[in-house]
Order: sequence, then C-alpha cells, then structure tokens
Amino acid sequence: METLKVYFLIANRMYGDGVRSGLGLAVENHYAFPVIMKGEFPPFSKYMSDNIAWVKDMEGQVYSCGAPAPDNCVDEEGDKLIAEISLEELGEAMRDADYIIPYGLPKQTNEPPPSCSAA
Amino acid sequence: MKILQVYRSEPNSDIKTLVGILNRDRDADEFYLNVENPDYDLLVSKIIAADKTVCWW
Amino acid sequence: MSADPNKFAIFVNSAQNMRHVVGIANAAEKAGKKPMVFFTYKAIHLTKDPRFKALAEMCGEENIAICADSYTCEGYDSVADIPAGLSVKQMRTQAFHGAQLEECGNYIVL
Repeated sequence: METLKVYFLIANRMYGDGVRSGLGLAVENHYAFPVIMKGEFPPFSKYMSDNIAWVKDMEGQVYSCGAPAPDNCVDEEGDKLIAEISLEELGEAMRDADYIIPYGLPKQTNEPPPSCSAA
Repeated sequence: MKILQVYRSEPNSDIKTLVGILNRDRDADEFYLNVENPDYDLLVSKIIAADKTVCWW
Repeated sequence: MSADPNKFAIFVNSAQNMRHVVGIANAAEKAGKKPMVFFTYKAIHLTKDPRFKALAEMCGEENIAICADSYTCEGYDSVADIPAGLSVKQMRTQAFHGAQLEECGNYIVL
C-alpha cells in the first residue's frame, strides 16, 4: 500500500476535529500533518493533546501557522507538541503533499459570544 | 503536473499566497463553487483532468 | 492497491455543502465514475437532509458511509437511529477515509 502525505488545514476554532481525522490516517500508515491556522486552536483536553502526541509518534506533525505554538499542549518532558510553520514554508511543504484537505469552515469574521464556551 | 484549485468561498490573502506557491511551474486551473448554480459537470471534468485537486474552505 | 481512475471520492466534513455533494456525486455518476462518499464530524447532520437517502441508494452499500463516532458525539443514536438509506455496516471509522484515498483516482473535500 502506498504511503500518502496528507495535510489537514484548520482555519476555524470549531474544526479541531481535523486533528482526529489526521490521526485516523496516521494509524493507517499515512503521514498526517494537521495545521492550525491563525491561532484557531481547539481546547487542549487530554484527549486532544494525546491525539496530537500520537500524530507525532506516527511520524506526522501538528503545526501552528500564523500564531505562536501554545505552551499548554506539551509532552511529559514539558516540550511543545505543536511546531510552528510560516505560510510560505507551509506552501512549499504542501507542494509535495499527496492530498491537501482544507477542513471544515473558514474563519469566522465575528467574535464568538461567551455562550460558545459552554459547549 | 495539472493542479485544480476549487473555492467554496471567496479566497482570502492566505489562500491566495498558498495557491501561488502550489501553482508555481504547474499547469493550474480553478473553479468557483460559491455561485448560484455551479456547473457540476464542468467541475467533475476538471477534477478528472487534474492530477491534484484542492478544495478550499 | 492503486487508485482506480473510475472511482470518485467525496470527503464531507462540514454541514453546509449538501447541494455540492449531491451535484458532484450526480455529475460523477453521469461521467461514468463511481462516487464513494464519507460523511464525518459536523457533516453527519446531512444524513437528516431529505436528499441523503437517494444519494445513499445511488452510491450503494460499499461506497457510502458515515463516521459512527461523529454521529454519536453530535447526540444521535448510532444503534437505534441508523440514517435512512444506510445499514449498520455503513456506520464506520476514519479508516473509510483512508480507503477513499487509496481506492479513488479522483478526490474532493467539501
């Protein structure tokens, strides 16, 4: 079976599920690179952090593009699990991708109201 | 290599930057889905003709 | 397995593109390509769209599935409320997306 290089681009705070979808391919022996754009990070639950670590263990990587990598998503040694990548670096890296998957919706133009955090 | 860029909404500057890099030295085509009546037959023919398709948010 | 140029993958993960899903699946079928469709995350709400059953019937049991975990996460009952047009065998995992990438010579995400 051919091993594929797949990028998941996450531009909307509600679509952190792209990490799980990437992990689903990683465990099928593909290389998954979920990229969180412009700081649209999901809440870093233990489940989410474990998935991000697992993607890395499977020779993929979760990236942050356009925002500093968060310091509340770390491995057991305290090292950041998410790596930073610039827009230009991302474009160059994706030239070699087998698939590029813009996941979910674009970024919202309006700020989410406080009630969103109840979810 | 033939690459097809499909847009579900109006592309922002980040998308335009990425598309510029991805299309460099390649035979590039595009299709807009954010219209009232997209020509799906045309889109499918473009996808079939392309080696790679990216469908932006 | 190498990708089949006569198979056409549609990977659906947001809930607002049903007209495109149906339009592209129908156009692919018309072009002689077999659509293979996977609905995951928020897209599982599209199983409640009245157009879903006809799409499922056109694709056939082997070529359309939804993510059972997503369906459950969104509050639906993945045991007692199998979407119209699907069987329990079509309540799948992300491995179905892997199969799309491996089997289909054509691919679009919506």
